[in-house]
Amino acid sequence: MNDEDRWRRLLAAGSAAERAGQPERICRLCVDMLGISGAGIGMVTKEGNRGVVCATDETSSHIEELQFSLGEGPCVEAAAAGVPVLIPDLLEPDGAHVERWPAFMEGARAAGVRAVFAFPLRIGAITVGVLDLYSQSPGDLGSEELPAALMAADAAALALLHLDLDADTLFEDDFDTRSTYQLQVHQATGMVQVQMDTTTEVALLMLRARAFALGRPLVEVANDVVARRLRFSVEDS
Amino acid sequence: MSDTYDGPADFAASGRASTRSREQLLASTFVQLADTLVDDYDVVELLDVLVNACVDLLDVSAAGLLLKDQKGNLAVVASSSEESRLLEICQLQSDEGPCLDCVRAGSAVTSTDLESEADRWPVFVAAAVPAGFRSVVAVPMRLRAQTIGGLNLFSEAPGTMSDDDQRLAQALADVASIGILHQRSMHRSSLLAEQLQTALNSRVLVEQAKGVLAERNRIDMDTAFNALRRYARDHNRKLVDLARAVVRGGDEMSQLVIRRPPS
Repeated sequence: MNDEDRWRRLLAAGSAAERAGQPERICRLCVDMLGISGAGIGMVTKEGNRGVVCATDETSSHIEELQFSLGEGPCVEAAAAGVPVLIPDLLEPDGAHVERWPAFMEGARAAGVRAVFAFPLRIGAITVGVLDLYSQSPGDLGSEELPAALMAADAAALALLHLDLDADTLFEDDFDTRSTYQLQVHQATGMVQVQMDTTTEVALLMLRARAFALGRPLVEVANDVVARRLRFSVEDS
Repeated sequence: MSDTYDGPADFAASGRASTRSREQLLASTFVQLADTLVDDYDVVELLDVLVNACVDLLDVSAAGLLLKDQKGNLAVVASSSEESRLLEICQLQSDEGPCLDCVRAGSAVTSTDLESEADRWPVFVAAAVPAGFRSVVAVPMRLRAQTIGGLNLFSEAPGTMSDDDQRLAQALADVASIGILHQRSMHRSSLLAEQLQTALNSRVLVEQAKGVLAERNRIDMDTAFNALRRYARDHNRKLVDLARAVVRGGDEMSQLVIRRPPS
């Protein structure tokens, strides 16, 4: 795991079939490459709806369901706070989490889970879900595994929003949330949100859909919106 | 309650004070940075204070800050103007320029006259010179042996920055590094990768908020950003929290009327 480019290529869905199962693929890659026992992705919407999208094994699935039904735990907290929640040892006696999540702690212990790492799937104000990694043994993610997990979370965020739709066709690397030379995309998202009186999530999807329909790179369409050469209006949709 | 804010003219009135001595300016900058660093501060706000302080203190025309993300890619996290942001972006896209050289080498890179650097950085010079920039100083943001980004200072006049000024620029860049690394996290991990991702995501959030304000008030991105920043300061709010409130709607910023700057 010392080659970030290789990891990036692994995470990118290379075919339509891979794209269809992209969340599952990402979880499996994390288990194969990051030295953890299990992985799962949960979806969390702004309206508070939650659900398990996928999990690599029974324990992962159980732990994820448990958190969603209890409404507490690292993954719920990561989604709410928008920052990663990393618990390298659930049994550490004076960890603050013991008091924070009493019911979850009990369930996790019973399931034999020792470490949990929860990463929010986010694009600015948009949080679509959480990538959860579990381990049966205690210990931090390593200095190479943590950046890899953050990259996996980025890929999962795009997959849940179907923003990786045509990554392998017209525009290689068209949408990379962290390449800040595409900040116009986020400015345009805010503008479209107001034009269409909708949520940030939907505005981003509309922008993406328009670019796809026009057969143009997202960043170009975003530039047109920011320069006010292109407006979205309710009549279009 | 409805607030009315001016655009850049209003902002200009608050800084760029030519009458104050440099010592006063330096002292007030460090007080402001210290204030920003206290308690639950916002890294985007800190970096923003920093680039604007550079323009005021170092007699340069524009300043920008690039950070490496967890993939090793550089990203623009703060800039004193939309123009300098575009110059940073130009370097990222063309994969050349003083800032990139500086971050790669981990040491300062300067050019005293950009017009004579067309061989060194053809694409960057072709963008920077028509935009009115003639010289540049880039200093690295360092963390022990690691270079995490760079602070770039653009000037409309050719010439060299004094050694004192360059040391001050490096000190300001070091403050930025500290700010990013010590950003208080509610959780136990303070690992660099996570901090950087959070800083960059905050930047994305602020851009989304700029878009909302720009569209709602029919203003440009710089004006939107200045209004957001001033409102946050005047109401003692974290920039990133305010940006989130703007993007999610139903907040006091929907009352905010931003006057367009006189053309």
